[in-house]
Amino acid sequence: MRPIALVFLLLVSYLCEAQFGSAIAFPNNSKRTTLDTSPEFFVLNWEEGTVLDISQTPMSIMVDSVGAQKINILRNKDRAPVLYSSNIVTPVCADGDCKLMHITLYWTLLGDYAGFDRSVEEPLTKHDHDEFLFTDYWKLHELLQDHNSILKRRAIDELVTKPKPSTIEGVDALSGATVKEVKESVVSGALYSCYVAWHLVHGKIKEELKAYTLGQQNEDMLLRMLNSAHTNYQMYALENLDQGQYKANFPRISELFKSGIPLVRSFIIKNMADMFVQSPSTMQPFWDALPHIDINTRSLLLQHIDTASEATVTAISTQLGVLTKNQLLKFLSHLENKKSLSAKILENLRRFAASSKEKNAYIVVQFLEDYS
Amino acid sequence: MKNVLTFLCVIFSSFYALSQDMLVEAESFDNPGGWVVDPQFVEQMGSPYLNAHGMGKPVENASTKVNFKKSGTYHIWVRTMNWVPGEWEAPGRFQLKVNQTVLDTVLGTRSGWGWQYAGQAKINKKQATHIELQDLTGFNGRCDAIYFSTKKNTPPSSLKKLTAWRQEITAEPNAPEDLKTYDLVVVGGGLAGCAAAIAGAEQGLKVALIHDRPVLGGNASEEIRVHTEGIYGNFERILTKIDTKHYPNGSAEAKFDQQKRDQNVKSYENIDLFLNWRAYDAISEDNSIKYVDARQTFTGERKRFTAPYFVDSTGDGWIGFWAGAEFSYGRESVDTYGEHWEEHGELWSPKEADNAVMGSSVLWGSTDTDTPQSFPEVPWAMPVAKDYAEVNGEWQWEFSRNDLSQIDDAEEIRDHMLRAIYGSFSNAKKDEVNKNRRLEWVSYLVGKRESRRLVGDHIFTFNDAKEGRKFPDGVVIEKRAVDVHYQTVLEDEKNPDFISEALFYRGPQYYIPYRSLYSKNIKNLFMAGRNFSCSHAGLGGPRVMLTTGQMGAAVGYAASLCKKYEVMPRDIYTGYLDEYLNLIEEQKYEKIPTSKK
Repeated sequence: MRPIALVFLLLVSYLCEAQFGSAIAFPNNSKRTTLDTSPEFFVLNWEEGTVLDISQTPMSIMVDSVGAQKINILRNKDRAPVLYSSNIVTPVCADGDCKLMHITLYWTLLGDYAGFDRSVEEPLTKHDHDEFLFTDYWKLHELLQDHNSILKRRAIDELVTKPKPSTIEGVDALSGATVKEVKESVVSGALYSCYVAWHLVHGKIKEELKAYTLGQQNEDMLLRMLNSAHTNYQMYALENLDQGQYKANFPRISELFKSGIPLVRSFIIKNMADMFVQSPSTMQPFWDALPHIDINTRSLLLQHIDTASEATVTAISTQLGVLTKNQLLKFLSHLENKKSLSAKILENLRRFAASSKEKNAYIVVQFLEDYS
Repeated sequence: MKNVLTFLCVIFSSFYALSQDMLVEAESFDNPGGWVVDPQFVEQMGSPYLNAHGMGKPVENASTKVNFKKSGTYHIWVRTMNWVPGEWEAPGRFQLKVNQTVLDTVLGTRSGWGWQYAGQAKINKKQATHIELQDLTGFNGRCDAIYFSTKKNTPPSSLKKLTAWRQEITAEPNAPEDLKTYDLVVVGGGLAGCAAAIAGAEQGLKVALIHDRPVLGGNASEEIRVHTEGIYGNFERILTKIDTKHYPNGSAEAKFDQQKRDQNVKSYENIDLFLNWRAYDAISEDNSIKYVDARQTFTGERKRFTAPYFVDSTGDGWIGFWAGAEFSYGRESVDTYGEHWEEHGELWSPKEADNAVMGSSVLWGSTDTDTPQSFPEVPWAMPVAKDYAEVNGEWQWEFSRNDLSQIDDAEEIRDHMLRAIYGSFSNAKKDEVNKNRRLEWVSYLVGKRESRRLVGDHIFTFNDAKEGRKFPDGVVIEKRAVDVHYQTVLEDEKNPDFISEALFYRGPQYYIPYRSLYSKNIKNLFMAGRNFSCSHAGLGGPRVMLTTGQMGAAVGYAASLCKKYEVMPRDIYTGYLDEYLNLIEEQKYEKIPTSKK
């Protein structure tokens, strides 16, 4: 059994390292002039071989009792800005007991949270002075990614007071949603550290960083954002590209229409509404994506059904199972307005209507009854 | 069977010539047993219906007795719907028992609302026929009506034809014959409607308060159980009669506040309370409402209400809609009112207008017991719940999607939430830690946040709140942060589509002008509640119930001045504003009786 257990342990440690990075913290970052490895906890992609030059900006974060904490800008070999960082030392106080928290924070060019490095000399500790475990750091990383965390709108005092439990019979499970949300989102035993870190990351500095970036914005930067896997970069680029740039970058934009989050997809389709009329054939990749996109975006796409080619309409008639009830009704109403329906479309409708597996088959049955 | 029940045996012409027919409305059964009367979707599917809301345990039979005029063999149809068609047994299955015979056909298995053929039965006119609905699942089987006919002609399923058919078979005249006259007719007994009725009554108006549930309070009622939020503003004295404590949403404590609210509203002699009455039409002439027609949700009895002034506190803005009032729905484009908020961009206010709105919630909870509790398999719920596991649901259990209208598709929205709840609970039950847990309460009423917004002389926007803009007629005051919800699935498709998140904007105290509380084009129509005049983002702050309660009280007082001077709501702003504001100031405290001065 022992050799098996040893192999298992090694495997687990290897898998953990593969997924989460090394379990050993990086040395103190404060004196670095370059960054050549990914921050240990990081939300962006880090390309192999990347080396970023670190230089100071005029910006800083004021921290009580410690003073101004400088903000650095990290540039790539072409001198293009990539990230912001700050080596933070800040007091964390709970019940009159204060200690210093050391952490290197990273922000994106838009001021969003990008990641952090822990300090090897000064690991984070919990209220009971136990050091953070790797899973605790990971949880902190998840918390910091939540820009709309409950920590945003609550004073720390509110978060440590639990509401009185209900004394009424029944429904004992309905404790306050707030208490539950806080408990689930912060590192157990380290509410104060989490609170301080979240407010450092998502404080006023966000707007300053974004404004600083805007001062250096150019087309290259927008295109890098458009080609990024980071959603906020994609949205920012889509919001700021002009019509000519939309056309020039159509392959990437239509690719994002398939791979992006629903919010990105919806934005793209609303922004390209005119193109469905002006250049229907160009929009074919959008129609091809119909079975693969989310319901909300599909509804927006179906608003343009009257501009779709006969081939597209026929193709959709083979995909009725992916449509919601109202989307199906929208599609059938389009068919109803056509002078005639092709034999192929009618055959597809009949096949769908006859299916016992399709929850909306009855709607097509009714349509065919009225149509005949 | 009660005399008032709507069932008629008629011989009618044309298609149904010489046949004997009987339509029995399920909601009019003598004894609904464990079934609940569900009147939420009348405008979409045609009628209140009986719903076997047993949270997975078959409910007790509903039963009634019917007297036929002619003996014979009758064909029987049941108007029902399989609420989750798919590759599984329908979740809401039930059977029909006629006298001693249970008909073989399992009902609740047809897709979409319509008539399912149940079989035949021999009827003897000499003795009352006993009818029972036998629930088989406890998972929301639904029965709208039962139709008996000696001829095998299926009644129409399409809503338009069905309405005409029902009218014909019941020989119902176009207008209700019973006319009731008031100073003020308030439709909708949520917090806004209750406050409007109280304020009007205190000023001596004879008020009708029409509400489609057995209890008052709407989202605050013990049936939906959302606690009231916001501040009292100018109307603390009235609002404390009808508000709730700040218990967790879904708490059973709602029942105590329910008693308080119902007793307080009923204590006003000049409020005629029409509980279980649902308005179904508003008739207007020259941009002024003359009548509101309403129907008793159990018996089908109808009444016509007339008054010089009406309050639309239905939430969905039905009175305004029927009367032809201007309204809006969905999100305005960011440029319409300049409601941009950099931090949340498209989620807050979109570049292009769309149909996205805040969703509806169905609250629920479970309880731990001392013994193992089983819960049925719910394969029909899993496409919604997926692998999400939970044992209770707070306000984040919310559903909205841009292809669904919060009004026209409310039944589908409610049903989607039921699938989310039953599926998530089923997943949670697979965890050993929950083996003793059982469902305690699941609302079957959909708690809406946003629907139609009637347009007034002023449209309240996010900017009015953000800037704390002061108005000469700023009668409603609020401090609560503006919060707009969105579905988290928009940010990550892996998230369940029935969970929302709130975006909070913390700003200064803000004011809602009286001009947002009456219709721009229907002269005698006030509105209070979530259907007041606002933009989508403007609704984010004042949609909570103490704020909507303030709106109600404000229009109740305005209505009293309208009557005093025989003027219309707009005239109060243009000609009687000082007196109106003084009246609001004076009402803050109980008057000391003259004898004690």
